[in-house]
Amino acid sequence: MQVSSARTIGKERTGEWIGRLIENAEVVAPTAAQAGDVIFRKISSPVEVQWGSDNPLFPPKQVVLPQTDPLVTISRGADGLVVEPVYDERPRVLFGVHSCDVKGIDFLTRMHAYDLADTAYLRRAAALTSVSVACITPCPLGFCICCDAGPFLAESFDVQLTDLGDRFLAEVGSEKGGRLVEPSADLFRTAEAGEVARRHELEEAAKRAFGPETCHFASAMRRVSVGRVSAELWDEIAGTCLECGACNFVCPTCYCFSVKDQGRDGHWVRCRTWDSCQFRAFTREASGHNPREAHRERVKRRFFHKVSAQYFRRDGAVGCVGCGRCVKVCLGTTDMPAVVAAIRKGAWHG
Amino acid sequence: MDPVLTTCPFCPCGCGFYLHVQDGRTEGVIPSEGDPVSRGRLCARGWGSHEAPAWGERLTEPLMRHEGRMRPVSWETALEAAADSLVATRRAGRTIGVLGSARATNEENYLAVRLARGALQTPHVVSCLTATYQPLLDGLHDVTGRHAGSGTVADLEHCEVIILVEGDVAVTHPQVAGAIVRARKAGCRLVTIGAVASQMTSLAALSIASTPGRERAVTFALVAAALAGGRLDTATIVAAGASFDALRRSLAEAEVSEAVARAAGWYAQAQRAAIVVAPLVADAAELRRLAGDLATLAAATGHLDRDGSPLLILPARGNLRGACEVGASPNFLPGFAPLSDDGAGSRLEGVWGVPPVRETGLDAAQMLTVARGVVIVAEDPTAVMPAGALAREALRRMECVVLLDAFATPALELATVVLPIASFAENDGTVTGLDGRVRQVRAAVRPPGKARPGWAVLAAMLGRLGPATEYHGAEEVRREIARAMPPDIGARWREVDEARVVPRAERNGGRRPSLGPLAPCEPIKPAPSVAVWDGVLDWGSDPLVRYSPTLCRDSAAQRKLFPGGFVELSKEAMDRLGVRQGWPVRLKSAGGEAVAPAVMRADLAAGVVVVPFAFRDALAPVMGGHGVTSVAVERA
Repeated sequence: MQVSSARTIGKERTGEWIGRLIENAEVVAPTAAQAGDVIFRKISSPVEVQWGSDNPLFPPKQVVLPQTDPLVTISRGADGLVVEPVYDERPRVLFGVHSCDVKGIDFLTRMHAYDLADTAYLRRAAALTSVSVACITPCPLGFCICCDAGPFLAESFDVQLTDLGDRFLAEVGSEKGGRLVEPSADLFRTAEAGEVARRHELEEAAKRAFGPETCHFASAMRRVSVGRVSAELWDEIAGTCLECGACNFVCPTCYCFSVKDQGRDGHWVRCRTWDSCQFRAFTREASGHNPREAHRERVKRRFFHKVSAQYFRRDGAVGCVGCGRCVKVCLGTTDMPAVVAAIRKGAWHG
Repeated sequence: MDPVLTTCPFCPCGCGFYLHVQDGRTEGVIPSEGDPVSRGRLCARGWGSHEAPAWGERLTEPLMRHEGRMRPVSWETALEAAADSLVATRRAGRTIGVLGSARATNEENYLAVRLARGALQTPHVVSCLTATYQPLLDGLHDVTGRHAGSGTVADLEHCEVIILVEGDVAVTHPQVAGAIVRARKAGCRLVTIGAVASQMTSLAALSIASTPGRERAVTFALVAAALAGGRLDTATIVAAGASFDALRRSLAEAEVSEAVARAAGWYAQAQRAAIVVAPLVADAAELRRLAGDLATLAAATGHLDRDGSPLLILPARGNLRGACEVGASPNFLPGFAPLSDDGAGSRLEGVWGVPPVRETGLDAAQMLTVARGVVIVAEDPTAVMPAGALAREALRRMECVVLLDAFATPALELATVVLPIASFAENDGTVTGLDGRVRQVRAAVRPPGKARPGWAVLAAMLGRLGPATEYHGAEEVRREIARAMPPDIGARWREVDEARVVPRAERNGGRRPSLGPLAPCEPIKPAPSVAVWDGVLDWGSDPLVRYSPTLCRDSAAQRKLFPGGFVELSKEAMDRLGVRQGWPVRLKSAGGEAVAPAVMRADLAAGVVVVPFAFRDALAPVMGGHGVTSVAVERA
C-alpha cells in the first residue's frame, strides 16, 4: 500500500471537498435525526454532516451489510426459474466515521473474504471508501484502546482526519483514500512538521483520557479458550440476558444472518437479514434439534466467538472494537466489558 | 428516505425507534438513544418490527363475501355493504357491537367507540383484552379514585425494592424486565409473586409462590403484614380515620408467612419502592381485589404517588391502555367517565352531534355470543379470546362481520366484509404506553395496494352511518379525543409531548386515597393439581410476529413439533407419573378431560400444569373457557 504523506485542509474548505465527493459517490455521514439522535445516512449537502458528535448508537455497518440485504432475484422465465445475483457496487464514501467503525468494517471484510468469499459483500465493500475522524476525546463508554481499534488508527483506514482546531490533518492510508484526496489537491496543502507532531500529541493525550470501561481481553481469552469458565457462571450471566439481540445488531463486527425469500410483485428476492446468535431459533435445525437450546450455551457461544484464542488466530483480532455500544443497548446487563470481567474474575455481578 | 421516528407496535412499554425505509419498504430498525422510554434499548420484537409490514401477507383491497367466496370490490361498494348490513341487523332487532383493539391506535379505538355509542347507537364496544386489564384499573380506582397507576418503567431502575406480581415479564414486557435487571445490579431487592418459574423469579431476592389464579392471597397478606409491621404513612392513616380501623379489622384473618412479612417490611421501609403487576390469569373480581390490595399497600406505606415509587399495571398488549382510556370498555365513556355522568354525556353529544348510548355494554365474550353483527378493528378474536374456538363459532353464526385489518389472519375466513387498513408502519396516530404517555406512531411508507389508514376507514363508516364527519388527518381525531375526554385526562391528548409522563394533577386530582376494608380472601381449596394458561397470551398468533420471518420461528417450531398442543409439568410431577418428555398425560377436570404430551418445565411447582395459551383450544374440554381450573393428572 502506498501511504502518501500527510496534508491539511482548512475547515472552511471541507464543505467544498464533501460537495465534490457527493458529485461522484453516495456519501454517508452522521446526521441529526428527530429525537436528538445522530444517525448515519446518505447526505445531499455538506451542511448535513454532524461534526464532532459522539459515535452514533447505530453503527455504519449497514453500509456494507444492510439489515435487509437482497442477494438474488428469482423470477419465472420461459424455461423455469431465473436466478440472478444482485450486486450493489455504487461508489460510496463513509464520511466522518470513528476509528472503531473503520476497524469494524475491516474485520467484516476480512471475514467475508475468508474461505468461501462472499461476493455480494465484497463488491459492496470494494466500492466503499472511508474518511474517518480520529478521536481526540474518547467516547465515555468506549474502550477501543483495549482492542487496537482506536482512538487513532495506524492502519486499515482510507483517509484519517485529525482535528487541529481550524484545520484537519488528513492522512491517506490506501489507494482508495488517495482517489478521494488527489482530485481535490487544490483544497489541501502538505502538512508541516509541527502539524504532524501535534497529531501525535493529540493521540497520546487521547490515550490517557479513557473512561471507566476497560476490557482485559488477554486473561479472558486464556480462560475462555481452555474452557475454564464454569457452566454455572454462564448460567448466571444468561440469567440477566433478555435475548434482545441488540448486542449483535449494533456490534460493528457481528454478522449473524438469516436468509429469507421476500415476495415482490411476481418475483422473489432472496435476502440476507440480520439475525442474532442469542435467539433460541438461530441454531435450531430442521429436525427440531437445537444444539444451543440452553440459554447459557448461546451466551457462551457469543463470547467464545468474540474473545477465544481460536478465533483470534483466525481473525487476527478479538471480535470487538471497543465502541461501547453494547453497554448502551443491552436490555439486560450482559455487555462486553461486564462479561469479560466476569470471565476473568470467575464471578458475575450483573 | 430519512429514517422515520415511530413507536413500537408490540407491547405497551411504548419504545420509540426509527424505521429505516428503502425503496418504499421497511427494511430495518434504528434505535433511538434520545427516546425517553427505550433510551436506545429495544427487545427482539422491537428490533424485528420492520419485518411483518414488508414480508407479511397483506390485505390490499376491500373484499366481500359472495356465495361463500371472498371477492375484491371497490371501497365504495365495501363501505356501503358494511354500513347497510350493520343497519339491517340492528333494524331486525338484533344486537350489534364493535371490537376495538390493543393493536389499533388511540384514534382508531376512539372512532370505534364513536361508531358504536354514537352512530350505531349500541353500547357494545370493547376490546378482546379489556377484561384482562380493566378490572385491575377498577381495583386501583376503588382506592385511589383514578383508573391508572403511576410512575414510569425508568423509575424502576432506581428502586430499592420491587414487588413484581409475575407472569413472565421477560417475555411480555422486556423493557420492564430490563429495568428490573438493572435495578437488581444496583442493589435492588426483587420480590416476585407467582405460581410459575420465570427468568425474573430466578433473579429474585425473595420469591413467594402463589396458587395460580389466587395471587390475591399473597397481596392480601402483604397488606396485613405491612399494617402489622408499622412504618405507615401517618397523613394517609389520619385522613382515613375510622376507615383505617375497618381496614385493619378486615385483615384479621390474613395468613402472613415469614416471606410475606419480610417483603412487606422491605417495601414499607424503602424510600423508593415499586409495585409491578404483570398480566395475570384470574377472574375479574379477583383481579380487582388484587389491585385494590396493592393500591392500599402503596397508600398505607406512603409510596402511592411518591416520586420514584411507581405502581405499574402492565397491559397485556400494545395499546390496551389507550383502547380502554378512549372508551373501549363496557362501563365507561371516553376518559373513564362513568356512564351515569350527565356532563360527559352532553360533552360527547356536543362533539358527536348525537347523544351517546349510556347503557352498560357487554364484555367481548358476551358480545360475541349475543351479537349478530360486529365491526372488528385490527383484531383476530379467535387468537386472543380466552375461548378461541367459541369465538370462531360465534363469528360464523353472525350475519355481518366487518373486519378491518392490515394482515390476513384466520378471522378473514369468518368476515363478510374486509376493509384493508394500514399497518403501524404506514399509519399516523398515537398509542398510550403502560405509563400513560401518549406516543406518536408515524407513517414510514405508503399502505400497500388500496389499503387506507384505519382512522380514515372508520371515519368513512361514521360518515355513512351518522352526521357528516370529516377529518383531515389522524391529528384532528386526536384533538377530538381531547375534547371528548374529561378535561384533566384530555390534556394528555391535546398536545402530544412524548417525554411527559402523566402529570401529577391527573394522577391524584387533589384526592387522598380512600383506605377502607378489603374484601375477605377466600380460602384456597386444595386440589391435586391446578392447570393454568401461561399468561403471556400467544405472541405467535399476532400477525406482527407470525409474519416476521425472524420473530415467528419459536412459535412456528412449537406448532410444528406439537400440532395438537402440549402441557408443561414439573420434573417432580413427571417423575411421579412416570412419564418422559413428550409422553401423553390425561388431564381431568369437573368439565371434562383431554390428553396432551407432557413437556418438562424447570422449577415449576409440583401441583401446577401450564397450558400454553396457543394450545388452549386443544385443552378446552378440561379448561372450559377458564384460565385456571383444578385438574387431576394421570399417565395416558
